[in-house]
Amino acid sequence: MPLLGQLALALALILAIYSIPANLYGVDRGLPDLVASARHAIWAMCAMVTIAMLVLWTGLLRSDFSLEYVASYSSTTLPTIYKITALWGGQQGSLLFWTWLLSIFSAIVAWQNRRRNLEIAPWALAVMAGVAIFFLAMLNFVTRPFALLTNIPAQGTDLNPLLQNYWMAIHPPSLYTGYVSATVPFAFGAAALITRRLDDSWIRTTRRWAIFSWFFLTLGNLFGARWAYEVLGWGGYWAWDPVENAAFMPWLVMTAYLHSVMIQERKDMLKVWNLALIGMAFGLTLFGTFITRSGVISSVHSFTQSGLGPYFLGFLIGIAILYTALLLWRVNDLRTPAEFESYLSREAAFLFNNLVLIGIAFAVFWGTLFPVLSEAVRGVKITVGPPFFNRVVAPLALGLIFLMGAGPLIAWRRTTPRNLIQSFAAPVIFGVAAGLCAFAAGLHRWYALTAFSLAAFVLGTILVEFRRGVSARGHLVAEPPARALVNLVAKNNRRYGGYIIHIGVVFAFIGIVGSSFFKTEVKRSVKSGESFSVGPYDLRYTGLASRETPHVEIVRAKLIVTRDGREVATMSPAKLFYKAAQQPATDVAIRSTPVSDLYVVLAGFDEASATATFQVFLTPLVFWIWLGGFVMALGTVVAMWPNVRERAAIAATVRGRASDDRFAPEAASGGR
Amino acid sequence: MPRKLRFVIGVGLVMAAVAYLITTAIQSTSEYYLTVNEVRARESELMGQSLRVAGRVKPGTIRWDPATLTLEFTMMPLPKAEDGATVQPVAVGAPVLFDVIARGEPKPDMLADNRDVIVEGRLSTPARLEASQVLTKCPSKYVPDKKG
Repeated sequence: MPLLGQLALALALILAIYSIPANLYGVDRGLPDLVASARHAIWAMCAMVTIAMLVLWTGLLRSDFSLEYVASYSSTTLPTIYKITALWGGQQGSLLFWTWLLSIFSAIVAWQNRRRNLEIAPWALAVMAGVAIFFLAMLNFVTRPFALLTNIPAQGTDLNPLLQNYWMAIHPPSLYTGYVSATVPFAFGAAALITRRLDDSWIRTTRRWAIFSWFFLTLGNLFGARWAYEVLGWGGYWAWDPVENAAFMPWLVMTAYLHSVMIQERKDMLKVWNLALIGMAFGLTLFGTFITRSGVISSVHSFTQSGLGPYFLGFLIGIAILYTALLLWRVNDLRTPAEFESYLSREAAFLFNNLVLIGIAFAVFWGTLFPVLSEAVRGVKITVGPPFFNRVVAPLALGLIFLMGAGPLIAWRRTTPRNLIQSFAAPVIFGVAAGLCAFAAGLHRWYALTAFSLAAFVLGTILVEFRRGVSARGHLVAEPPARALVNLVAKNNRRYGGYIIHIGVVFAFIGIVGSSFFKTEVKRSVKSGESFSVGPYDLRYTGLASRETPHVEIVRAKLIVTRDGREVATMSPAKLFYKAAQQPATDVAIRSTPVSDLYVVLAGFDEASATATFQVFLTPLVFWIWLGGFVMALGTVVAMWPNVRERAAIAATVRGRASDDRFAPEAASGGR
Repeated sequence: MPRKLRFVIGVGLVMAAVAYLITTAIQSTSEYYLTVNEVRARESELMGQSLRVAGRVKPGTIRWDPATLTLEFTMMPLPKAEDGATVQPVAVGAPVLFDVIARGEPKPDMLADNRDVIVEGRLSTPARLEASQVLTKCPSKYVPDKKG
């Protein structure tokens, strides 16, 4: 079996290598058969990597400890679901998973473009195959998932207990999907540069891929935060650890990219900037893998140090140099006559939104790399922790939220001061009112007050936008408001999907501010029957109970929670002991409400005297972070939804353009 | 041109603001990241400063009182290959160790003999670090003690 996986990976590498000259020579000489053969090679590569994946999965499910990977990351007592997720629990498996996603996305791109983008798509596929070759070479020669053990152990060392959690089961795949799908717009950007087709067709072609990538980066970050919150037991969800930063930076750059491409589509500006952004986003996905795998930066999560670091760094530098050279080579073709006309214009708001996002990304990058830089320059390793990131990001985030509210209120090109006052009036009143209410309610921290006011300002803006859209429809067609709202969103799904995402961002922002500024913590050691209070809650500890399975030992404490004398919940935080890994773990009890989360950790216990020590956090508004994440996901789905009008428009431009595109069938059916 | 210049100024201002935030924040929040050897070699000058120290838990030294949430252990240097320290210990032959005491935090699950830790805190007396935070490295791969 393992031999089959090995063989499949070797074949996949050969197929990927073959596809590049086939694609390029085929498109250069106008040989459709050769291009088709390259396409088939990519599909075959995808099949091969899939086989390798299935082989490793089979090994995990059958607890085949002759495979080094299975022996290191699984055990016979591991629940089946975690045997499946152990595929991305370790380095070789996660690289294989990454390569698998890349091969699937390449296959889809090959399918999508089999009859369109005939000049640019082969180049884009060649770029993707180039990336696939790097990963396949790693899997074939450097970090082999099918390495065999000569001494077959009777039992595996088990998956890290911290990873035996459902959020950890879905966090890496989401993040990897986000990372890997960023390759598609990158590949098309590079192909556009090479083929000198520098209009916005590469952006339009990959728009959904970019949103798709952003969607999974968002989910990946949120799932990771949720995992940290539920599993790590420190009451927080984000610690600015290098690994988290590595996932956050591509998200920031992708967010900037999604905004700035709109200016290019609208105003034919910022062409160089957009190409640079997508290059950065792709580079950061590799950089993320590099810093987590190389041990260059000490992280709490630092994985087993491995020899992968130099390869990734080399690949990253190679890509960066090539891409920059390409960009400089074409820079004259990317000049456009259009320029910014006024600060009071939508494009200016977008420009500053981009600057702030990239500013945050840069600060995060700088802070993450600071230990390495300071050691190189001054010979002393100096680190910056969460306080650094909070201090830099907090004010920039306020600016970003302000722009999020202001952008939609400003017209393209320029706005007159009078228009401005008119459109800003309602949202500003909204924001000021919210701020005053919060102040009256006893909130006196200036940052939180500003933050909540701005949040209300943004919500006000979005409300105004929806209202305006609905009433504009009302003038054209007679329909009930609810129906008008649905039609409005359906007809302009990209725009209103974007607004829904903004609502989600505001919710998450409120949650972050609330939980960062108003968290309280109580630590108490109590005997059975004793109680203590946390905020409005009284917690009565009623004793310990222990339980044992072949996989794990559990000691659970029971607490009865009352509020104003009324019982509201029973909470049972626990300590677990995983037998195979010889490792304790914490099971936190959380009672979540929109107002605040009660978060109870069993910090220590003495079974003989039945005393227990609890660490309890009362964290306001955390709920809104997860709700905001859900709303963002919803908005993204709306924005990604196929839009009939847009398809017709693309089809029309394709039809009206160069001779190489024979895209007629869809154009005919797509028009309305 | 003036229009372009206006935008160049605006962009420059935003970039300057970001740079200003970064430099001031670094000045006020940075901590030395040191190894056990480096701390012992320079302990007099480091007294009272905020530090981040990387090392390894000396086997058999963990004392944990769950009632008061007090954790004590002795930290030893990482093996040479992973250390990368440039500063040599003061007295050759003297054991390069120091005690860590952390109060009021739960014992990290991953803390165990021979585990790598990063400790944040200040030196109260030489060779004794009052930790505000004890971070355990969580390797994705386990190498449990063979004796166990």
